[in-house]
Amino acid sequence: MRGTQQLNHACVQELIDRQLPEGGWPFSSDTAQAAVEPTALALLALPSNSLRERDAAIRLLLRMQNANGSWPAFSGDDGGGSGLTGLALYALNRCCAQGAAANRAVHWLIESRGWESHWLWKWKFRTSDRHVRFDPDKFGWPWMPETVSWVVPTAYSLLALKHVRGISQREHVEHRIRRGVEMLYDRICPAGGWNAGNGVAYGVPLAPHPDATAVALLALLSEPLNDLMTASLGWLERRAETCFAPWSLAWTVLALDAFGRPTELLTDRLFCITEHGPINDCATLAVASLALRCGEGLNVFGVDS
Amino acid sequence: MKVDRRTFLAGSLGLTAGAAATALLDKPKYLVNRKQRRSRVAVLRAESYSEDLGQILRSGLDLFYLNVRGKTVLLKPNLVDYIPGNHINTHPFLVFAAVECFRRLGAKSVLVGEGPGHQRDTELVLLESGFSEELRQQKVPFVDLNRDELVMTRLLANYTGMKHLWLPRTVLKADFVVTMPKVKTHHWSGVTLSMKNMFGVVPGTKYGWPKNILHWKGIQESILDICATVPVHFVIADAIVSMEGNGPLNGHPRPLNRIVLADDPVAADATCARLMGLDPARITHIQVGAQFLGNDSIERIDQVAEAVGAPANPFEAVPEFQHLRVTGSAERDP
Repeated sequence: MRGTQQLNHACVQELIDRQLPEGGWPFSSDTAQAAVEPTALALLALPSNSLRERDAAIRLLLRMQNANGSWPAFSGDDGGGSGLTGLALYALNRCCAQGAAANRAVHWLIESRGWESHWLWKWKFRTSDRHVRFDPDKFGWPWMPETVSWVVPTAYSLLALKHVRGISQREHVEHRIRRGVEMLYDRICPAGGWNAGNGVAYGVPLAPHPDATAVALLALLSEPLNDLMTASLGWLERRAETCFAPWSLAWTVLALDAFGRPTELLTDRLFCITEHGPINDCATLAVASLALRCGEGLNVFGVDS
Repeated sequence: MKVDRRTFLAGSLGLTAGAAATALLDKPKYLVNRKQRRSRVAVLRAESYSEDLGQILRSGLDLFYLNVRGKTVLLKPNLVDYIPGNHINTHPFLVFAAVECFRRLGAKSVLVGEGPGHQRDTELVLLESGFSEELRQQKVPFVDLNRDELVMTRLLANYTGMKHLWLPRTVLKADFVVTMPKVKTHHWSGVTLSMKNMFGVVPGTKYGWPKNILHWKGIQESILDICATVPVHFVIADAIVSMEGNGPLNGHPRPLNRIVLADDPVAADATCARLMGLDPARITHIQVGAQFLGNDSIERIDQVAEAVGAPANPFEAVPEFQHLRVTGSAERDP
């Protein structure tokens, strides 16, 4: 049986083999349409000695950036911007590929907001549309323009804005970070954890999802630990006991490891799942690779990464 | 009754808005007419999921003389999420019975595809709802429609004003699309049946989780645009155990002990609504869909198996959709 490092090398090699000629990755290895989420995650997963592949991925992400500073969801997408802009910016920041592209992305993130922040919709959600429990004053980022805020795009955007360096609009950035953090706390499920973004609908508490919970926790990592975060970590740990899906399991390992919680058993399980593969989805393969590296003390979403 | 000026003004505004909305939906906005002269529906009895669903389905499909020989068949079940104990998804036994039937009918390939609207981890839903193991054992390819290659597609109806949608290549390439809904009430759209089930072909990669843009553009309108653009060739609806109340996730199980087959999604949904004790004429996407997507009237639907009766107690619905319930006209419990 291979060790974790060897398996991780195999994952990285598999990612390299699946890299498209233009430098990006599709979700499914059966297709040839580069998408931003697998590309950004694969870029984060590539070790620093994969210079050529990293360079190609960075170049592709920079080419894909929309004129307004946002990123599309996939190659060929229209130019309005997507909720994956934060993840693309985070990946580029981690690879020290900043500069004008980062400034334009930050500007877009400052301007982009869920529609519940608009006075008209705020009024609607306060008066006539009260089936979903949330405070429209606490807003984050949508998946696409002209829709309301959701957990994953908000968490990706927070990750990006919290780690961006050397940009000029620090005060605006700080303001959006605060609103985004408030939004995550507001949309939390009653027993901790997050799903797509509705904690309670029609008076019924909704179930959290492991991946959304993990990404939200990673986005809140630098915040002071509070009861909501502790409850969410507890929920994630309990949920992980019966989780065998690599995408959710890998995000769970990354989040629990970032918070200093034990992950050995989960990493072992992820190891077995990855080894017995194949993991056809490139985004999942990349997150699995990132999670397996936690055992070596490397967490790309951790404080010290 | 005394009506003050404020009440009168508010009432007038409400009436004007209502009339405008009705006019908007009444005005034909479709570029394609998929309506057949007559439609076929078969309501089949199945007491539980432990019955031989393959046998029931085979005898039901024989009533339709389907020609799928050499075709790529895409089965689109309703897989929303996994909540232990909640009957929210199309049952895997029914889906795999359908796989077997279409293979026997000579299909070149049979795929299962879905793009869950809430849960981003489709594999988690497959694993926990019992699909993964069967997919592997029966060697059935599964396509996560949320993460498939996307093609910009012109909409063949214009109820949302969106003009185009990015749609999964797998769906567009399939020769024969079978929508396999779980029969449920739904807190935003009244019901979720074969037409609403087609929301699952809209990719999360582009439109997010949930596919929020479709809510903002209007759920009923989005259903019409999607069903005009992606032809539904056949319906196999899971009404063995349905859901009533606060669907699609948090309602209560309601056994109907039926499988509904149809060669027309509007006819299927109108029939399912009747089985639920709901009035299809009060469900906007069925009513408007009957102009160009299929038949909703009993006169144009050939019931080729069991007769359709309304239950003594119509399905429970959230307060906004109480008006769908047909009360006081129960014939018999089907």
